[in-house]
Formats: sequence, C-alpha cells, structure tokens
Amino acid sequence: MSKDNGRSKAYTICSWVILIILAFLFIFPLYWIITGALKTQAAINSPTPQWWPGEFTLRNFQTLFSKRSAPLFQFKIPFLPLMVTGPIVPAAIRWLVNTVFMAVVAMVLTCVTAAMAGYALAKKRFIGRTLLFSLIVAAMALPKQVILIPLIREMSALGLYDNIWAVIFPTVGWPFGVFLMKQFSESIPGEMLEAARIDGAGEMRTFTQIVVPMIKPGIGALAIFTFINSWNDYFMQLIMLTSSSNLTISLGIATMQAENSTDYGLIMAGATLAAVPIIVVFLIFQKYFTKGITMGAVKG
Amino acid sequence: MRQTMSPELRRRETISGYLFLLPSLVFFIGFVVIPMVMCVATSFTDANMNSNEVDHFVGLANYIELWQDPVFLKALVNTIIIVVVSVPVVTVFSLWVASAIHKMKEAPLSFFRVVFYLPVVTGSVAVTVVWKWMYNNYYGIFNYLLKGVGLIEKNINWLGDPRYALGCIIIILLTTSVGQPIVLYVSALSNVDQTLIEAAEVDGATNFQTFWRIKWPQIMPTTLYILVITTINSFQCFALIQLLTSGGPNYATETVMYYIYYTAFKLFRFGYGNAMGVILAIFIAVLSAVQFRLAREK
Amino acid sequence: MKKKILALALALCMVLALAACGVSSTTDTGSSAPAASSGSEGSGSSAASGGSGSSGSTSSTPASTDAAPAAPAVASEITLWTYPIGNWGNEETVKALTDAFTAETGISVKVEYLTYADGDDKVNTALTANQAPDLIMEGPERLVSNWGANGYMVNIGDLFDETAIAEINTAAWLACLAYSDEELVAYEYPLCMTAHCMGINVKAFEEAGALQYVDLENHTWTTEQFINAVNALYDYYGDTVGAVFCGGQGGDQGTRALVNNLYGGTFTDEAHKVYTWDDPKNIKALQELYNLKGIDFDPAIVGGDEIANFYNGIFKMAFCWNIAQQLNPNSAGTGAEKTLNGDDIAFMAFPTESGDPKLQGGIWGFGIFNSGDEARIEASRQFIKFMAASEHTYDAVRASNFFAVRDSVNGKPLEVWSDNEIMNQYNTLMQYLGDYYQVTPGWAQARTAWWNMLQQVGASDGSEAAITAAVNEFCGQANAAAG
Repeated sequence: MSKDNGRSKAYTICSWVILIILAFLFIFPLYWIITGALKTQAAINSPTPQWWPGEFTLRNFQTLFSKRSAPLFQFKIPFLPLMVTGPIVPAAIRWLVNTVFMAVVAMVLTCVTAAMAGYALAKKRFIGRTLLFSLIVAAMALPKQVILIPLIREMSALGLYDNIWAVIFPTVGWPFGVFLMKQFSESIPGEMLEAARIDGAGEMRTFTQIVVPMIKPGIGALAIFTFINSWNDYFMQLIMLTSSSNLTISLGIATMQAENSTDYGLIMAGATLAAVPIIVVFLIFQKYFTKGITMGAVKG
Repeated sequence: MRQTMSPELRRRETISGYLFLLPSLVFFIGFVVIPMVMCVATSFTDANMNSNEVDHFVGLANYIELWQDPVFLKALVNTIIIVVVSVPVVTVFSLWVASAIHKMKEAPLSFFRVVFYLPVVTGSVAVTVVWKWMYNNYYGIFNYLLKGVGLIEKNINWLGDPRYALGCIIIILLTTSVGQPIVLYVSALSNVDQTLIEAAEVDGATNFQTFWRIKWPQIMPTTLYILVITTINSFQCFALIQLLTSGGPNYATETVMYYIYYTAFKLFRFGYGNAMGVILAIFIAVLSAVQFRLAREK
Repeated sequence: MKKKILALALALCMVLALAACGVSSTTDTGSSAPAASSGSEGSGSSAASGGSGSSGSTSSTPASTDAAPAAPAVASEITLWTYPIGNWGNEETVKALTDAFTAETGISVKVEYLTYADGDDKVNTALTANQAPDLIMEGPERLVSNWGANGYMVNIGDLFDETAIAEINTAAWLACLAYSDEELVAYEYPLCMTAHCMGINVKAFEEAGALQYVDLENHTWTTEQFINAVNALYDYYGDTVGAVFCGGQGGDQGTRALVNNLYGGTFTDEAHKVYTWDDPKNIKALQELYNLKGIDFDPAIVGGDEIANFYNGIFKMAFCWNIAQQLNPNSAGTGAEKTLNGDDIAFMAFPTESGDPKLQGGIWGFGIFNSGDEARIEASRQFIKFMAASEHTYDAVRASNFFAVRDSVNGKPLEVWSDNEIMNQYNTLMQYLGDYYQVTPGWAQARTAWWNMLQQVGASDGSEAAITAAVNEFCGQANAAAG
C-alpha cells in the first residue's frame, strides 16, 4: 500500500479526469437533444454552436404536436362488432402509446415463454434436447435482416403486416431469452424438484412454486433486456409498420427526420420525446435495472 | 449424479418437457425457423419484385454471384471489421471504466453507471439525430472544435469521407454498447474475493499482478457473457447505417445487414438478398458455436 | 395456488386473443368496412400467401361488422399514400380535399404521408407484403416505370378519353403510358407538372461579385458563367458553395440535370430504352465539377440536406430546387423566396453551353394499385376523376404548388395560378422543359446506380480515366437493369 502510494494517487487523479471527460461525452448527445428542442430555428442552425439556448421556445414542440394526428388508441373488443377508439391526439403521443404497448407485451410474453422453455431445457431430460439447444444457440446472434423478406411475406399472410404484433412476435421468438433462462435454471438443485415430485406436486405447480421463485432475478434481467431491446428495435419496426397511426416513437422520429430534414429543431423535439420517457423510467428503476442486469450475468 | 431413468419416467419427462417448451417454440419456429427455411428455399431462385414473372430455380447461381460481387465482399469485410473492432474495444473499455469506478462511494458510482448507460436507453434513432449533427461537415461540432484548437485547417466530412465513415459509425456503436458491460463488470469486480487480494498485496504483488492473477480469472464468466452480448449487438448495427450513410460513401460503411435490405428494396432482387442472408446466418452460427465452445471449456 | 396457474393460463389466452383481434383493429383504422375488404383481398388476390388458421378468424370477425355498402360496386373507404408533392404532404390541406371528395361521393379516404427519403422503401415493403394502398400519388417514374412495369398497377387507360387527351399536355399523358404484353396501358393519371431548377442566394452572389454572371431577367446562365460564379464565390467565402449531393437518391433530379446540361449530355436515349450517361460530355461535366473548388461531391447528404444547407446560408446555390420550394415560406418564418436570415433566393435554369437548358420535368398524378377488389378500384377511379378531371382540379393543383397539366377541364378553362406573381415569373422556365426520360425501364435501379456513381467519382482522384471507369461501371449496371 505504502510504496507506490504516490503512483497510485496519480493514477486515481488521472482516471478521475478521464472519467469526467468521458461522462461529459456520454451526456452530451442527450443534453444537445433536449436543449436543441428548446432552441429557436436561427440558434439551432447557427454555424457556431450555441451551448446554452439564448432564447427558449416551445415552437418545436408545437410543430411536433400539430404535424399529424391519430386516435390515442384503437382497441377492438373481441367477438363483438365494437371498436373502442380513443380521442384524437397528436400522432407523436400515439407513437408513444404504441411503443409502450409493444415493449411491455413483448417483455411479458418473452419472460413467460422463455422461463418455461429455459426450465425445460435445463432440467428435463427429453429426446431432442441437445439438438434444440444447439439450434437456439445458433439462432441467438442471428440479425433479423437475414430473414427480412420471408418475414414480411409471412406477416402479410397472417394478416399482421402494419400491425404492432408483427413487431412483437419475432421479438418473442428470438431465442436469446430461452438461452438466458436455461443458464439460470441450471442452478436449481435437482433434489428440490425431486422432492416436490415425491410430494406429489404436479408439473405446473413445481414450476410456479419452486422454479419461478428461484429464477426470479433472471426473469428480472430478461425483462429489462427485452424491454430496452424492443423499445429500440428500429429495424423490425421499420419493415413492419407503415400507417402513421401504427408507428412507434423511434420510427416516427426517423420518418419525421426524413420529412423535415430542414427543421432540426423539430427533429430534436421528436428525439426528446422519444428519449425522455424511457430515461425517466430508467432513472426511477435504476437500482432494479443494474441489479437485474447484474443478476443476468452471474449465471450467464 | 443422475440415476438412469426408467422408460416411463423418460416418457413423462419428454412430454412435460415439450409442453413447457411449447409456447416458446410456437414463436421460435413460427417467426425464426420458418422464415429461415423460406429464406434458404428462395435463395436458390431468381425471385424479385416483379409480380408478372414466375420465380425460377437457379441452383447455386446466387451464391456463385455473391463471391464475385465486390460490394458484397466489401460489406462482409466491413461487417467483420465492425465486430472485430467493437467487441474487444467494448470489453476493454468497460473493464477499465468498471475498475476505475467500482471502489467509489455509492453516489459517484451510480452516477457513472447511469451516465454510461444513457446512450443505451436513449435509443439509436434519437442518438443518431445528434451524431449526424456532430459529424456534419459544415456546422458540426467536431469540425468546429478541431478547427478551434487548430488541429485541422479544413473541415472534414466525417461521414462523407470513405477513410473516416466506418470509424465514425463504430464510435457511435461503441457509445451505445458499453453501458451494460460496465454495469456487469462493476458488480463482478465487487464480488471478487477480497481476502485473496489482500493476501496477494501482503506478498508484494503489484496492482497489475493482482489483477491478472486474481481478479481476471474470477471475472471470466462475466467477460464471456459480455463477449456474447456485444457480438450480438454489433451484428444488429443497422439503424446507424440506414439513417446516416445508406452504406456510402463508396460502400465504405456497407454491411451485410444493410446490403440485404438494399438488395431487396433498392435492387428488388429477393432471391439474391436471401442468399446473402443464408451466408450471414451460417457465418454467425459458426461464430456462436465457437464462442460457445470456448465458454464451455472455461 | 391453483388459482395462480389458472390466472396465468387465462392471461396467456387473453393475450393471444388480443393478438388475434389486434389484427383487425390496427391494420385498418377508421371504420370497420375496410377491414372487411382487406380480408377479402387476403383471400382473393393473394392466393400465394395461403391464409393460415389464425387469419381465418381475423377476416371473419370484421366481416360481421361490415355495414354493407349500399352500392356493392363501390367501396366505402379507400387508402391513399401520397408523397410530399407541394402541400399534398400537409395533413390539413389534404384533409380539406378528401373531405370534399367524401362529401360528394360518400367514400372516405384514409391518407398516409410518405417522404422521399423512405417512401419508396415503404411502398416496396408493402408490395412485398401484398398490403399496398389503393391509390398512390407520385410521378410516372415510379408509377409507370417501377410499380407499373412490375405488374402492381391497374390499367386506367379508359380514363384517357378524347377530352382528356385533348386537354392534357401531350408530354404529360404520354409519360403515363407503357406497353404491357404488346398492349398500350396507362398506369397514372396526371395532375400537375413542373420543371426542376436551381436556386441561388442573391445576396451571396452580390457580395462575391458573382451577380454579373447570372441573367436574373431570363433566369439563365452559360456554363462559363456558372464556373466563373462558383470561382468568384469560392474566392470570396473560401469554402464550399454548393454540393453534388450523393448520399442517396433524394433530389437526384438536380444532380442529373446539372451534369447533363453543363456540356449537353443526355441521360437516356430518345426512345427511353438505354441509359446514355456514359457519354463523354457527361464525363467532361463530372470532371469539371470535380475540379471546381467551390463544388464538393458530398456523400453525407441528400437533396433535403442540401436545401437545409442552402436555407442556412452555407451553400450559396442549390441544385435541388423547384417552384414549390420557391413558393413555400421557410421554416424560420422569414417568408417565401428567402433564406432563413432573409436573403433573397432566385430560381435559375441549369447552366448550359448552348443557352438552351433541358430542365428535368416533374409530373405527378395518381395511380391505382391492383388489390383485385373491383369495389375499391372503382372507388379509386372516382377519386382520380374527382381530383384530376373535375371542377375540383383547381384546388388539387393549387395544393401541389405546381402547374396544372391541362389548361381546361371538360371544356372549362382552368387557370390555377393567374393571380400569382412568382408562378407567372416561373413560367419563363417552363419553355425549357426537357424530355421526361424517367420512364426508362429499370429506372429505380438506375437512380441507385447514379448516386453510387457520384460517390465513386467524388472519392476518386478526379482523373478522366477514374471518372470514366466509374461512369461506365454504373451506367452498365443501369443498362443491365433496363434489360
């Protein structure tokens, strides 16, 4: 501890300086989006960057909200000739609703299906298990671009094209979750399952009462992973969604950027709307996020 | 450990195993395996946009053409560069950041963790909007700053210059990739057995030696996990290219992922695009298998 | 505890049920009628897609909700996808137009707004998915030479009756026609047209002493004057004054017209069969542009970005300019014909040696995608007639900010812009309207090849050999696609 105290101190100071510079670089994009959204057209287009808005304006948000409109939600009641349609709101709000819906449903479906499958792969000895697991590992890193064309055709055949479900289903089908849950379930002691079986517990009961509580941290990790991934999965949204009322926020912003490349303030306002909600969610649940992610790796 | 199972038990295990797998398999087979099979099947045809033409079986023609297509080869090389550069850089960078911050007090620690995670949650589209402006040739911040301190005389067209464009894309990719690895390494490093470190220090080991001999083996599982997710992440690098460069300039940022999209919707050659998809899938499957084998061995 | 399992199972069932019903609710918004028709499309036209089990339930559910239109031959709702052609990209303007149509015919129109940056990809994915809209608004370069040639459009040749042919500008209706299996067909009904041009920042030209090189009266200049102006601007500002943008196809009519006009090259042959941009005149023009210090080959931007930079005052000239932009007030609110800080913008023809520029024409109109559903096709035809061949054409053209393709509609004179000073002035450029060659086969691929070629030229050493090699390679690709 004592002999290279000076060196280690210098190192600490150095790393603090570098860390602070890096932190600045990482915060900057977000800072720039948010302040940019509040700048005037002249300020944002100025060739010398205006580090802090000289004059605050809400014009960009006004334009954003007056640009397109869409019903807040549309929901068809199953088996009844009724469709519940929400009030007409700015399309950007609808995009947020779509995105939240998509991310939450994808998250829930993935967690449920992957937990069950992961458990089976880890703890059941059945025919075809190794083959299936190899398939899953092989498909895990597969970029979705590979199956771009067949997937569009398939969704169209299922009548799901231009529908948020066309984005959700492939996300759920992606086998990374199964892989993660399998790794987690490996740590469940076989004796516990054996004991439950001897006690006469059914398969489902063993799963919900013994397995689920034990892999809960893993489910948490998977939930976070899926939520963020599907929120940001621009590609699937891009190829599957077309109607302006069915877009997600990322896709909506990208479209807006294509449409108004001259209006940077508007694009920044859109980007703010896309980024801020999820960042707020992240900051609120920050502890769980980091905990969940960490748990994910312990057995990953 | 496990006793040999009776045939009856084995039958029961198989049935219940598949029942548990069923919901997941519906999605996996329905939306990954079936499209993949369709992809392989169409890759042997000349399928295109034209609805008047019937698709013809062309055998391996698409695959043969691929190896003669300079754009595809360039895209393949670029894809490999992205993965080969970003995976180690992300790993080393996040390990360094984590080791620098993991001993801090709770407040600064969580500050840094949040900061490095921000680009991940912000999302690639929103992040791209800013980076596009930062890289701008005429009023971008990089040119402004570099000119300000006198490092460059003339503006550099970052995304428009074949020499820099791919590097610029990789930098954005890095900022959106390091968040999770840092969080993981922080916790892995805090879980390293302290008594071993103290013992080593008593023995007079340098910091470097302690790290290499004691910490590194203990964080190995985390490293492997990070390698896997970063590889996956690097292969998903599509939005950046679609929104910033469309594969240009002069194919400098063309990746196989973008080239598939481009072939399908700009050149309208579905069969050819699918053949590319098959090649990429094989490539990635092999890579995953290797990574997995490595993970198994450790 | 069994409750918990039951709840889980129930939740799963509900989610799946939701999935099934979500299909009909989000695929077609608005009334439930279109859901029924899209269902029938699924079973009718797209036999290839072979409906699966779950799609059966989706098409049957909405069918029961169908309000059964009074006249079965005409659908009660259709979809229109429109590119931002003037104010046809503006929700408010378009809504006023479609509302008028709905009031007269009872057919409601659901509109989606495309952009030039991603619109083509969107339509192409939708076609791949058999989910194209009923109506599309754009030019023959897409409707005829791409989607029409690929068999996705309805032949609307019968809309071109004698009156229409007599009244519509000949070049405009000719561009809407094509041969399909030796038979003459029409895939588009034109509404409006213009000639694309350049824009210059008058104040910047004045400051740099370059105003002497432009004829602001006739809006023309020679190649030499253009070169002198660029050099004068560069000497004065010391920086790029204009860009050959080539980050994608957006706005490429500008770069094509620039290159072709400089030394009188052509893009295709007169018969629209072969791409001729490997002609030495174009190579000379590319080399000249490469050598001009004030002009930059910029693969990081497309036409839209160029306009942004022009409005900002960074570029002193824009190659992707047209009358709609000249008419529209800019986003900073300093008014029409002005940059963001209020400098005057003048429109100019592309520079030529001969003094006879060939401006790139733009023609826009409507076409119908073949859904196989006669009722929807009929409703779409009514829409086309309403917008492009009735007393409402005035408003429809007015919304586009371009010129009408006809001087009269069904015998009644059509004077859309007689009250507008800028439009009247712009008429001086309309005499230079060049050949509408965008209907050459393989057009979409040729456009892609064009910007890739510009990127390669920009990245080369600028030698004649390098430029020739790039031009030959990509022109060859375009011709391969032309067949």
